[in-house]
Amino acid sequence: MSALQTFMLVVDHDKEEAKRIAEGIAHDIETRKTTLIDTVQSLGEYINDEDPILRGKAISYLTAIIQALSPKYLSRQQIQVLTTFFCDRIEDGGAVDGLQALQGLDRFNKFLATQVAQALFSNFQDLQSRSQTQRFHVYQLLNDLMSNHRGAMRDMGDISLLGVVDIMTGEKDPRNLMIVFSILKVIMIEWDISNHVETLFDSVYNYFPITFRPPPNDPYGITAQDLKGRLQECISSTRHFAPHAIPALLDKLDSTSPNVKKDALSTLIACIHSYDPNTVSKFSITVWEVLKFEILNAQEEFLSETSLEALQAIAQRLSEGVTEVSPELPLAKYLQPITKECNEQLQEPQNKQAKPAQSILSRVSAASPVSFVLVVQTVVPPIFTLYQEADGIVKQRALLETLNVLFEAAITVFGQWTTRGGEAAIENPLLEFKDQFSDLFGQALMGAAKEEVSFRVTALKGFLRLSTLRDFFQENEIGLFVQYLDEILIKEESVGRDDLKKEAIAALAEISKHKPRLIVDITFPAFVATLPEEDEGSDALYMPTLETLAQISVERDIFETLFRRLFSKLSVLLQKEQPGSVAYPRAILVTLLYVMQQRNMEQDPSVDLYFDKVVVGLCRDVAVSASGKAKNQVLKDPTVLDTLGRLCNLLVRSVSTQKQEQVAENVYSLFSSPQDFVPIPFTQTTNADQERTIIISTYLLAGISKDCSNKIPHTDPDMSGLLLDLVHRAVSSTDPATHQAYLRHLALLVNKFLSKQDVAIAEKLFDSLLQSQDTESQSLNPATIRTIFWLSKALILRLAPSTTHILTSLLTILSSPDQQTSATAAQGFSIILGEDDILSANNGATIRLLCRQRLFTTVIPLISSRIREVNIAGTDDSAAAKKSPDHIKPAHLTALAGILSTIPTALVMPELPTLLPLLLQSLDLQTVDSVAVRIATLDTLAVIIRDNGVVVIDQCGHVQSLVTRLLKTTSTSTGPGAVNSPRLRADALKCLKLLATHQVPGAAANARAPPGISPLLPVKAQVLRSLRAVLDDPKRDVRKAAVDARAAWLRGVDDAPEEDE
Amino acid sequence: MAEMQNSNPTILNAADLPTRLRPTVTRKSEYGGIFTSALPLTPVDFESDPPSDSEDDNLLEEPIDEQEIYDLISSISDPEHPISLGELAVVSLPDIAIKPTLPDVPDSPLQSVTVLITPTITHCSLATVIGLGVRVRLEQSLPPRFRMDVRIKEGTHSTGDEVNKQLADKERVAAALENGALMGVIAKMMETCH
Repeated sequence: MSALQTFMLVVDHDKEEAKRIAEGIAHDIETRKTTLIDTVQSLGEYINDEDPILRGKAISYLTAIIQALSPKYLSRQQIQVLTTFFCDRIEDGGAVDGLQALQGLDRFNKFLATQVAQALFSNFQDLQSRSQTQRFHVYQLLNDLMSNHRGAMRDMGDISLLGVVDIMTGEKDPRNLMIVFSILKVIMIEWDISNHVETLFDSVYNYFPITFRPPPNDPYGITAQDLKGRLQECISSTRHFAPHAIPALLDKLDSTSPNVKKDALSTLIACIHSYDPNTVSKFSITVWEVLKFEILNAQEEFLSETSLEALQAIAQRLSEGVTEVSPELPLAKYLQPITKECNEQLQEPQNKQAKPAQSILSRVSAASPVSFVLVVQTVVPPIFTLYQEADGIVKQRALLETLNVLFEAAITVFGQWTTRGGEAAIENPLLEFKDQFSDLFGQALMGAAKEEVSFRVTALKGFLRLSTLRDFFQENEIGLFVQYLDEILIKEESVGRDDLKKEAIAALAEISKHKPRLIVDITFPAFVATLPEEDEGSDALYMPTLETLAQISVERDIFETLFRRLFSKLSVLLQKEQPGSVAYPRAILVTLLYVMQQRNMEQDPSVDLYFDKVVVGLCRDVAVSASGKAKNQVLKDPTVLDTLGRLCNLLVRSVSTQKQEQVAENVYSLFSSPQDFVPIPFTQTTNADQERTIIISTYLLAGISKDCSNKIPHTDPDMSGLLLDLVHRAVSSTDPATHQAYLRHLALLVNKFLSKQDVAIAEKLFDSLLQSQDTESQSLNPATIRTIFWLSKALILRLAPSTTHILTSLLTILSSPDQQTSATAAQGFSIILGEDDILSANNGATIRLLCRQRLFTTVIPLISSRIREVNIAGTDDSAAAKKSPDHIKPAHLTALAGILSTIPTALVMPELPTLLPLLLQSLDLQTVDSVAVRIATLDTLAVIIRDNGVVVIDQCGHVQSLVTRLLKTTSTSTGPGAVNSPRLRADALKCLKLLATHQVPGAAANARAPPGISPLLPVKAQVLRSLRAVLDDPKRDVRKAAVDARAAWLRGVDDAPEEDE
Repeated sequence: MAEMQNSNPTILNAADLPTRLRPTVTRKSEYGGIFTSALPLTPVDFESDPPSDSEDDNLLEEPIDEQEIYDLISSISDPEHPISLGELAVVSLPDIAIKPTLPDVPDSPLQSVTVLITPTITHCSLATVIGLGVRVRLEQSLPPRFRMDVRIKEGTHSTGDEVNKQLADKERVAAALENGALMGVIAKMMETCH
């Protein structure tokens, strides 16, 4: 059998084999074992066969050989002969592919390209009756001709233009259309289309709007958006289309379908961006006339938004190259009817239509400087007149709002003081009205009645915009505004929600970015003058001032001033015999802390100065104070020490390693000499004041880097002595603040500074603490339990080798027959993974990623089985069953709630079937002691429902039992001894609401229920009935939650879900 | 939608609507203002009680008042505009009254709520729908001991009496609520309730 015959036999079912045969022949031809002529002649008997399938296979044989030949093999003449051969048989299968292979060869020329194109156009008049694949191959060949032989195709002129249009007309397949559109786009842009504009336009516009929806699991991955994009590029490709495209697109806005309108608008925008300005100008007013309706009578937000975009795009195009303002400009002619319409709407600026008119003005005026000038010239003067004649403050406020919109546009066009570059060549037209604005807004802000908050807020916002607008106000004019703001903040009484004051602070903060000098020169003296020397009262009048100062002092220069001023206030206070309440110095420290947290202190060049003053200076003062040599008690107060500690911590983290090493060396001595102050560790003679300095030491220790651990005192050769000393102090300390600090100090050392090989030291300490329990009653004192838990936290976070042993030991304490011991331990479980300000990632604590997982998977099964044991023992009356004390179950549920509150839900979800029954049992608790546990449980449930929907609860089969318990928790009429606090009731209602709004996992609130019957339906009547009673709850917040929950159930829980449209 | 009847009504600023001023959170938790972020709550620890609502607070009763009724209905949207009834001044605080239903029986828990509606224009055919919407919202949100009386404010509507008759007629209200299309409109109006 010849190679040809074998090929024809296998080609249908074994492509690989067919390819191999063709490659063999190609090799023979290249090595001259056979010739191309012989090969072509061997086709002889088949290519004239009556059966098109046989003919096709024979041609495919030749095509396959050509594809297998090396690209340089065929001579020009051979290519020519083959091309003619294929063109003659172009309708036979494989010929198109053969041509495609040939046209890619270097020796294929322009003449041949024309020949192929001709053959395509004349033989495929009936293309649309062929299969999708065949059509696809034809388009691909055309596409390749277009990209490889563009010149030849273009020289064919109308022939190629009409040829392409003819063969593609009627095409419907999305894959093919993707190619067709891109071929047509090239013709539209590069051919001379003047004689066939309409034909070409219609060939693509027929497809508008695209309603294609890809079938599910579409292997080609073509989306409607892809098609829309290509079609849009065609329609917007040439200005010649404008007379057809723009009216047609505007007509489409009459459609009732928002999607069609959206497509028409976005295509219109593409046209505006692509056609030349003259063309755009011709249609600009027509477009406005139509789009006006879409904006003023907005049906859908996005339609009016897109229409505004189109209007702005036109203004931008018409501004191109325009440098001088004149009424003869096409831009001016375009804007004229727009501003006229808006001016009319703004006659009654408080009415609904004024809003869209404002939006229109905002968008067109922001298009370009010239556009802005033209709008301002026609719009601003009438506003002044209207304002003078306005009969009420509502109308005046609406007018100010309109001006604010224009100010915003001015900022877009001309920039703010801080904007770099891009200065407009045209003068800001608002400058003409500068003094009028200053008067008007100043009068509105300061002259209006104090209750007219929203009016004054509007005036304030306008003034602020003008103040930040580049090259507009003079310094003194902005200064006047700053004075107004100061006056509002310092002198005026609070009104309502204090909106005006909030805005005033925000405005000062905004100005501080642009004109920091004004804030330092005007606001600072005024505010600092109101701060007292000392404060005795409890009403803390200085707080608002400090809050304001804190918010406006984030800029570097201003912060330096703030620091200087406040630090000197503080220094004076510390020297006083009668310093008044400690709340005041503490508030000063908090202010500094707040601002430093907002700033990036590491980058601040003055950080060393702050370090010397605060960390070195004030710590020394603390030491002096602890030794009883200070003039007052301020630095002995634990709350002051805590705040100062945080401040030191932040600064220590921001300074160089050398400075940190200094801190490490002084962590206990607090930069004092041994004569002046005795550091805590290992001293026998300590008093409460001295011990309290551990608070500062702890914050300092938290701030320094791990690398400084060898500089910490008492750590050579290892930490065992220091740790033991701290444990003793922690266990025996009676002052709560000091006790807390010892615990954290210990945890820091163990977690952050203890080397890997020394971890055993801490583990040994842990065991020795456990052994201290009273063997008979199995009780531990609370301080010891706390120490145990903090030590555990430190070790578990770094996943010490003994983590499992630690966790099981903690559970043993939890099961202690001593009620007190068990209850204290139960509360401790939330500490282990709980966030802490000192033992935190920020402070470089060792927190291993898997520690949560580890704790969860170790502890939860144990707690769960313990509770089950208790439950079973409780129902088993036989005396043989050892009954556990009553406190065991609540203690375990408390521990569980504590752990869950510190674990991400993703980790919880796989265990939900085990956990849910436990959570439900927590809700069964009733007493006052259990309120915290129940609140924590409701929090956990809320997160579970929000993230995963009702489905997961339904899967565990607990919808009914959960709903019943939630409803019970909303009730005020509980049994004796039972308490549902208002917070608890409201939280339960929130969970009920979440059930109805989150029936689908991860769905946004108010998402429709999925098709099918909601698992909530069986309980709907029960919920609605019970909630009806809760609507009469004595507490307003609870009633509000009940209303929301009830509305959600009425709306969201449906037996006949609506079909998705 | 049919042609709008009033396409350009006056709108009140949302910030100017009456709201309940919460007594500024008593600053017993040290700093209520911006500094709360600087000083996180005392870290979770053994003694720290949950920020429990103290006993006294829990016993203090907060009866349902006019403002609460206003809050319930002012966020309903107008069927014509996507704007709330509060902003359109269709409902306003002074036009809401709560009275004991039986003034002669001091112990009776029964209360009557009267809400007067001001349509944006006097010939608004949607007044009935708005009235129904308000009624439905109140029925869903108030405990059973409340009686509802929703009426058009006198002199603000050309066929006010007619509408009032319809709104007061239990049978007609019930019949209207059986109407799926009407309930659809009302459900849409109430979507914005928060």
